[in-house]
Formats: sequence, structure tokens, C-alpha cells
Amino acid sequence: MKYILMMNTMKAGKEGITAWAKQDIEAHIAYMLDLNQDLNTSGELVSAEGLTFPDQAKLVRAAKDGTPITDGVFPESKEFLAGYRIIDVATPERAYAIAARASAAPGPAGVPLNMGIEVRPIMSLPPKSS
Amino acid sequence: MSRNGGELRLAYESAETGARRKGAKNMKYILLMSGSKAGVDGYRAWSKKDIDGHMSALKSLVKELSESGEFVADQGLTGPDEAQIVRGDKNGMPITDGIFPESKEFLLGYWIVDVTTPERAYIIAARLSTLPGQGGGPTNMPIEVRQLASHPLKWS
Repeated sequence: MKYILMMNTMKAGKEGITAWAKQDIEAHIAYMLDLNQDLNTSGELVSAEGLTFPDQAKLVRAAKDGTPITDGVFPESKEFLAGYRIIDVATPERAYAIAARASAAPGPAGVPLNMGIEVRPIMSLPPKSS
Repeated sequence: MSRNGGELRLAYESAETGARRKGAKNMKYILLMSGSKAGVDGYRAWSKKDIDGHMSALKSLVKELSESGEFVADQGLTGPDEAQIVRGDKNGMPITDGIFPESKEFLLGYWIVDVTTPERAYIIAARLSTLPGQGGGPTNMPIEVRQLASHPLKWS
């Protein structure tokens, strides 16, 4: 069963990682890469991506003639996807256990963030090209 | 799949890291389609004909992007009713919660494209936004466009 684990963030979250000490950022990244390596070794990691910051995000709609209209203004309450992992596991409980480990990634001064990780099954029949 | 042909990136590499290793110069963008629970319920009420029309147009677009070498990956997610928010407790055990505010936007699916300019990513997003919806008119769904980070968890 494939699951996606999503880490969401606010644009101006007080946990904003850019304001952390360099050492804290490095410890956080090392923790996440360790988790990826473990999941790769166990054969459970399908993919992992990080996204650039919300200040570079654009919302795009088409005008009547099909040309793109871009908008970079978002409500303060909007959640932005910061990154995700797709995992292939035997049970939902295993997906939750992995999400809990991601949730406990260290923040400032090494204290676990306990951030919420959204967990959803991947569709069995996505609109595939192949 | 990457446009860079035979060599597949390692599973723990980001798409961008994998591409750089292989000497690619283009930029990868993720096009995110989101919606509320109410929006998803609305989609589920479409007629079979409307859903087929939407999916068929989407398939054509993806085929076109595959042929131009811009298609990297796509994925649909299950509905918000299957979502859980997970946190670790003090012992690292998962605590799950499936209750969300009505206003929460859920990721419904995404496309990753490999393009030379952000403008090209916006044009593809506009194409997604004009896919036919109920009754065959364009959905005009907003598509969030973000560049992938050059390395997972390295936001610089």
C-alpha cells in the first residue's frame, strides 16, 4: 500500500526554519536524511521531495483565451506543502509509525518539533500517462 | 520518470538532485491541485460522461508533455476522508487525528514538470486549469506552482 506523508507549513510560521541557528537546521536535515536512508534500506521509500519556500509560490488560473493569470497573494491561514515522502508499506500502522518519526524531527536546540504530518493513501488508479 | 533517459535516480534522491547528477540544467516545478472536502464531494457527483471527458483531456495533456520531454511524474491522492494527521507522542508512538477544519484545503494530486522557464510552468498550469469539468466547461481550478528544492529539506 502506498501512502504519501505531507509536511505542511504556514508562510510565516513562528517555527520558520530559516530563523533557526545553522547547527539546528543541519541537525534537522541530517535527521530527515537518516530517515530517508532507513526507508530506502528497508525498501519502503518511493520518493521524497522538498519544495522551495511559499514566497516563490504562484497560484495559476487560465484567462478566457487560455493564457495564465498568476497570483502570489495568499491568505495568512493558507497551509503550504513544504515537502513530502511517498512510502510503500504493508499496513497503515506502519505509515503512521514512519510519520511519527518524521513528526519528531529536531527543531531549535534539538527539541522534537512534534509537527503534524498528513498521511493519505495514494490512489490505486491515478490518471497515468502510461 | 525523468527525461534524462536510461539512468534512474536513487530512491532517496530528490528529482532535482538526480537531474543535476545527470547534468540536466532545467528547472523542476510541481503543480499542485488542492480542494476542500466540499469540493471533492462536488466532483464525486459529476456524471460519468463529465468525469470521462476530464480524464481523457488530462491524459492527452500528459501525453503531450511526455512527448515534449517535460513530464516527470504525476500522482493522484485518495480523498480527504482518508486523511490522518499524525504526531509522535513522547515515546515516539503515533497519535492519529482525522478531524479537520471545514476550510482545510487538501492536496488532491500533483504533476511534476521539467521546464526551462517559470513561464512555461505557468502555461502548463493554465492548461490544467482549463481541463473540462461538469457540463464540459473549464473547471478554472487554481493550480499552485512551486519549484522543487535543489535538495530535499534544504531550502536556500
